[in-house]
Parts: sequence; C-alpha cells; structure tokens
Amino acid sequence: MDNLIISNIRQRPIRTLISVVGVALGVILVALNTGLVEGMLNDRLRREQGIGAEIEFSRRAGGPLSPQSIMPLDLRYLDRLLRIEGVESASPVGRYIQTGSSGLGFENVEGIDFNSYSAISGIKIVEGRVFQSDDEVIVDQFRAERSHLSVGSRIPVFGKELRVSGIYSPEVGSRVKISLKALQNYLDAPNKCFSILVKVKDPSKQEEMQKRIASELPGNVVILRRDLQLGLGRNIPGIKGFVRAVLTLSIVVSSLVILLAMYTTITERTREIGILKSLGASKRYIIGVIEKEAIAISLIGVGAGLITSFIAGWLIERYTSLSIEFSWSWILIAGLIGLVAGVVGAFYPAIRAANQDPIKALAYE
Amino acid sequence: MTYHMGSVDVAALRGINLSVRTGEFVSIMGPSGCGKSTLLHILGGLLQPTSGQVIIDGEDLTAMTDAVRTDMRRRKIGFVFQRFNLFPTLTAEGNLRLAEQIHIGGNRRNGNSTLESKTRHEVLKLLRLENKMNHKPLELSGGEQQRVAIARAIINRPAIILADEPTGNLDSENSKIVLNMLQQLNRELMQTIVMITHNPEAAAVASRAIEMQDGTIVKDH
Repeated sequence: MDNLIISNIRQRPIRTLISVVGVALGVILVALNTGLVEGMLNDRLRREQGIGAEIEFSRRAGGPLSPQSIMPLDLRYLDRLLRIEGVESASPVGRYIQTGSSGLGFENVEGIDFNSYSAISGIKIVEGRVFQSDDEVIVDQFRAERSHLSVGSRIPVFGKELRVSGIYSPEVGSRVKISLKALQNYLDAPNKCFSILVKVKDPSKQEEMQKRIASELPGNVVILRRDLQLGLGRNIPGIKGFVRAVLTLSIVVSSLVILLAMYTTITERTREIGILKSLGASKRYIIGVIEKEAIAISLIGVGAGLITSFIAGWLIERYTSLSIEFSWSWILIAGLIGLVAGVVGAFYPAIRAANQDPIKALAYE
Repeated sequence: MTYHMGSVDVAALRGINLSVRTGEFVSIMGPSGCGKSTLLHILGGLLQPTSGQVIIDGEDLTAMTDAVRTDMRRRKIGFVFQRFNLFPTLTAEGNLRLAEQIHIGGNRRNGNSTLESKTRHEVLKLLRLENKMNHKPLELSGGEQQRVAIARAIINRPAIILADEPTGNLDSENSKIVLNMLQQLNRELMQTIVMITHNPEAAAVASRAIEMQDGTIVKDH
C-alpha cells in the first residue's frame, strides 16, 4: 500500500521489530502475570470450596488463602465444636507453605486427620494407601500427573524428601497432604492446628450455625466457606501491590521503547519532516502521522504480545503445576496499555518533529 | 523587505521591493550568498522578514501566525527543490497523493477520490510520467524525479511555484527537459513561477530575469 505510515514501518524493519517487541513485552507482563495470579487464586478457591465444609473455625483472620504456616488453634476446640447442636462433623487442618515444586510461586501442604477430613470432603485414595508415618504424604491426581509422581516417588516437603504413599481424588484443599501429627511435630506445635473445618447437619441453616458457634466459642474467627470468594486475593498481602507494580512497569517499559524508537526515527527523518512542512503540513498533521505510526506499531505489538502470552500460558500449564486463567478484562487492559504506551511514547518525538525549523530540517543530511 | 539573521546582525536581504504578476515566470540570479534562497524562503513563508510585507494572492504572510502561514503555504504555494525532496518510500503517484492529502487537511473522505485520481493522472501525463506512476524515486532518473517534484508542486493548483535551483542536480539534458516543462506550465496553465538559479541558461527560459547581489536587487529586466 502506497501509504506513508505503512511504508515507513516496512522501510525500517529492525526498528519496527524492536518497537513491536517492546510493546509486546509490556502486554506479556500484564497478561501473563495477571493470568498467573487469577489462575492461582481461582484454582485455590475451587479446591477450597470443594472441601464440603460449610464453616471454618480458626483463631486468626488469615483464612485459607493467607500465606501463614503457623498453627494457633488448640485441638481441644474440636471436641467443643462437635458438642454444638447442628454440627455434623469436624476435622482439624494444619497448614505449611513452601516454595512451589517448579520453583515458581508457593505450595500449600495440609496436615489432616484423614478419616475426619475424608468424611467431610469425600476424598478417597485411588492409588496406594494413606500416609502411615511422618515421612509419608499423599498427593492429588493433578499433582501426580504434572510432576510425574507415582506411589513410592519422593517429593520435597519441610526441606526433606518425603515418600508419596498414595494418590487421592478429588482435588480439594491443598494438593499435598500430610498427617496432622507429622505437621505438628515439624512445626513444634503439639496439639495445635490452623483451623477446624465444620460440616453442619442442615446446610440451609449455616448462617444460624455460624452465629451459634461464634456465641458459644467467642473470641475466635468463624467464617462461612461460601464467602471465601469475597476475600479472594485480599488476604494475600501484596497481591494488589504486585499487580499495580506489574501494570506500571509494563506501561513504563513499553512507553520507553516506543519513545526511543520514534525519537531515533524522527532524527533519521528530519528532512522528511522539513518536506512535509514545505508542503504546508500543519503541526497537527505531523503529530498525527507520527502518532499513527506509533499506534500501528503498538497494535502489532499488542497482537504479538497476546499471542505470545497465550502460547506461554499453554506451555506453563503443560509443563508446570501452575494454573493460568486469562480474563477478558485483563486482556483488554493489557491491550490498552500497549496502545497507550505507543501514544504516550511517541508524543514527545512528535512534538519535537512538529516544532522543527523547516529550513534546518530541509538542509539536514 | 529586509532580513537580518544571527546574533551578529547580518543583513541577508536589504530593501527588497519585488512584484510578480499572475502568470509571470521570473528567474532570480546571483552569486552564492547574495540572498536568493533567503528571499525564496521568505516568499514561501518558511522565514519571516525582519521588516516589510510579503503579499501572495492578496494575503499578507507577515501578518499571519505560524499556523495560518502554514495553511497559506498549503493552499497557495508549491515548492520545487534542488534535491527533489521526494519521499523515498512512496511511488511517484504516492508522493502526489500525499501532497493532496495535506492540501485537503488529511481528510480524503470528501467524495472526490476519483476526481483526485484523475487529476493526478493528468498531471503525470502532462509531465510525461504516466508510465512511471508506480515507480519509487530510486527507480527514476534525476530528471524524472524532478518532474515528479514539479507535478507534486502543481497538483493542488497553487498561486505560485517557488523553484530553488531546480536544475542544480541535473545534467544538461535533463536540465533542458525540466526547464521546458516549467515553461510549458507557465505557457499552458498560466502558472506563476519564481525560480532562483545561478545558471544563466536556466535564467534565460524565464520571461523576466532579476539579478541580486549582496542582498539587494541590482537588475530587473
């Protein structure tokens, strides 16, 4: 096409490629990071909600999504909970947070009493057997598949290599479970747990049960597990700050790349700017030409960035245990960031070009 | 009109008093540094005189803001340069189309694209470039490039063409072709042309020759 903008983009392929990569980088930063955060949190939420308990009784406000490895709750609360009218069953749970198996992110290891946990959640051992010592763990099928684990494999927990005694299904709670006793021993917290899962006899009266438990055992945190979604992300400190930092970084990176690329281009095309001025092109026209070129490059960069993000997301899900969930809102934001970066980055070079002296520009070699 | 330049006051032009009638072909000759290019740039609104007026087709350039002067240049002035100054990434027709876009303010959606295309083809035919429409400048000879530049200058029917050494980069054969083209435009389209040159043979094709020296007009015949 005999168009100044398109021909300029094609005439300088290396410059165009670098600019496209710069914009794509910003888009990838946003799309992949938010996809990982959403995937991680949503995956965790689904598994938590799948446990089957209506109420969670704990000592602190952290909740199941907070990154804490402490066990502040006394196990004696278990008997007291079981004596409350309306409670069908209860199961104590401990928690340990460690670095993810792929080296990325973090992994939650739950310490459980298998029988009471299974009665609430319905998990069953589908291969092997339940743990019988402090050196044994069970993993869910997803974890087993992704990490190529089978009965007898070893995985790192507590900095040691523990044996996989069994594989369970369905995927609820954490993907790696150990006996509560073993976790108490490791964390030196005898007769303690992180929280107690409570299954009520009549789920339609769970709010009533929440109030009853809170009044009979005051000074503790009693939450409805169906409300976990409301706290999604809020309980993990730094998530919002992390996302904001990623957004800011991506705008800055992409804008800077475009600014440098367009600035160099304007310098190379000083005479062309002079010609445009001699033809009577207004400052607005010159700014428009440069901004349109930047927008065209940004659009290509956004497309490349999104395609790369989807491919990278597929690869990450295939070869790691991480989950990625792309949402349309974040994809739109990533695309807008790419475009805005192009417009903003080209603005200063465009202004400079528009204000050039036409005589000097025409004489430029 | 006078023009002083630099922090040390140098008079590039002194007391220039020049009138050009519609349809005239004026050549301005003089040695290097006599102020020919400065005069041309002032006539084209690319420079502002230190004192005096420049009136083109009834409009005073010196009384205008930069934006209005740019608009005036777009509507009424066509430039032809020694170095052609074509866009290397566009074809011959593309260079003309760009000039049209700028002329109508970048808004091509006024329903006249067919008319514009016809006009472009007619202009290129007039300058004997109909077979070179899809060629980029690098694919054209010097003479052909300058003819494309002339076509670009006249495509929007300006009131005046300002030609700055249009044959300066051409061999004698191509110089002759370009000068004949300018003469033809002046004769057939009554195009007003002001051409600066240091070549007496080029100056001779004009109907009126002006000589400059040290920033002032010394002869006008």
